[in-house]
Amino acid sequence: MRKITDERLVLRNLKHIKIAYIVQTIGIIFILGFEFFQSGFEGMRDNPLWLVFILTGVVNAYLSMSLSVEHEQIRNPRKSLAMSVLVLAAVAAGTAYLTSNTPNLEGTEGLLLGIILFICGLVPLVYVYRLRVKQQQDAEDE
Amino acid sequence: MKNHVKVARVKTDLTQQQLADLVGITRQTVSLIEKGKYNPSLKLCLQICYALNSTLDELFWMDEEDFT
Repeated sequence: MRKITDERLVLRNLKHIKIAYIVQTIGIIFILGFEFFQSGFEGMRDNPLWLVFILTGVVNAYLSMSLSVEHEQIRNPRKSLAMSVLVLAAVAAGTAYLTSNTPNLEGTEGLLLGIILFICGLVPLVYVYRLRVKQQQDAEDE
Repeated sequence: MKNHVKVARVKTDLTQQQLADLVGITRQTVSLIEKGKYNPSLKLCLQICYALNSTLDELFWMDEEDFT
């Protein structure tokens, strides 16, 4: 089987992959929705398709971030990162505090949740920052 | 978009299949390009020009009135 070198067919193939992805995602959502109505939220999360759905969502979000960075016009990426980290720290600290004060939950669990939330939020912020810096450097090179 | 690929191909005495093989695309794509139903990338336009011993101007240029 020969590799496709015709650009028209390559583009058509990409469109077909897009259609297949949409159909697959709709199918996964239907199955998870059915699982939700049958066995509730816990039952839905036990289905391995839930992991596939979340993973696909995260990959899609990161790919969309690279598009958004090219679309926007941020003049100072460093200032934007600092503001975002401050807001994230506030949200993580607030969540940690509220969780610690919840009955049946210990203080360490709240702290752990806050730290995990902060780290998980920091990764996309740093990724977007690096994309913005790279875009600025590319613009300066012209 | 209209172009002069067919005229140049006939002048060079090539069939659509031969041109397709030279450029690395399918015969159907050559046909669609000649009919103006598929717009090739700049890279493919240049490859077609090299294969037909023509320039971009001769094969693909069009006046602004025809473009819109």
